[in-house]
Amino acid sequence: MLFFRSEEHVDQWCKVNGVTKRPLVSLDQLWQLAVTWYGNRLTVESRRPGPDEMVKIFSEIGLEGPFWDPKSDQWASTS
Amino acid sequence: MDFDTSVKLNIYEMIARTTRMPALIDIALGLGSSMADVEQAFQRLYEKRLLVLEPGTTSRIRMAPPFSGIETQHRVKIEDKVYFANCAWDAFGIATALKRDADIESTCPDCGEPLAFQIREGKPLPQECVVHFAVPAARWWKDIIYT
Repeated sequence: MLFFRSEEHVDQWCKVNGVTKRPLVSLDQLWQLAVTWYGNRLTVESRRPGPDEMVKIFSEIGLEGPFWDPKSDQWASTS
Repeated sequence: MDFDTSVKLNIYEMIARTTRMPALIDIALGLGSSMADVEQAFQRLYEKRLLVLEPGTTSRIRMAPPFSGIETQHRVKIEDKVYFANCAWDAFGIATALKRDADIESTCPDCGEPLAFQIREGKPLPQECVVHFAVPAARWWKDIIYT
């Protein structure tokens, strides 16, 4: 999960490193993920979201599909 | 509060205060517990995906997400302290976990140019930038250090 200057830089980096290009996330989406995941991490109540909660969290900020599903078996053979 | 939660909170309190990942003995002394008990708690916290241990060890913390136990390309400056994050998500995560304004420095892996982000009053200031997730969610914990 890396910051890039622009999508063109992602394209170039993926090409040079032989990495499959995957979904891009905006800073606003990333901020929402950070708030949801870590906003109470230093409290007694803190816990990591379960798989179904993760899908809901991603969906609420527009990140949908098997890439964002921790239970998806579509990626079993990928490295 | 159960023992594992006490261990977890003690880890985070130490990181927040010192910016450094505590050693097992620091946690044991802080809680007045045996090192063996704390080591077992580390393993349980790893199984709950709340802690990542240094590969091949059972007692050295590599990640207490969003914090990294080693220096990375993602630096998060809050007041007079500098923390290291595991990834872009965790860089923002440190600011949300500590609930402070933050200045984040990273590097574009393609061109090597520095990237800077400011978190002010609970949100990031606008910045031209994108974040690439190379690994699908189903595989994040297959190799969480790479992820």
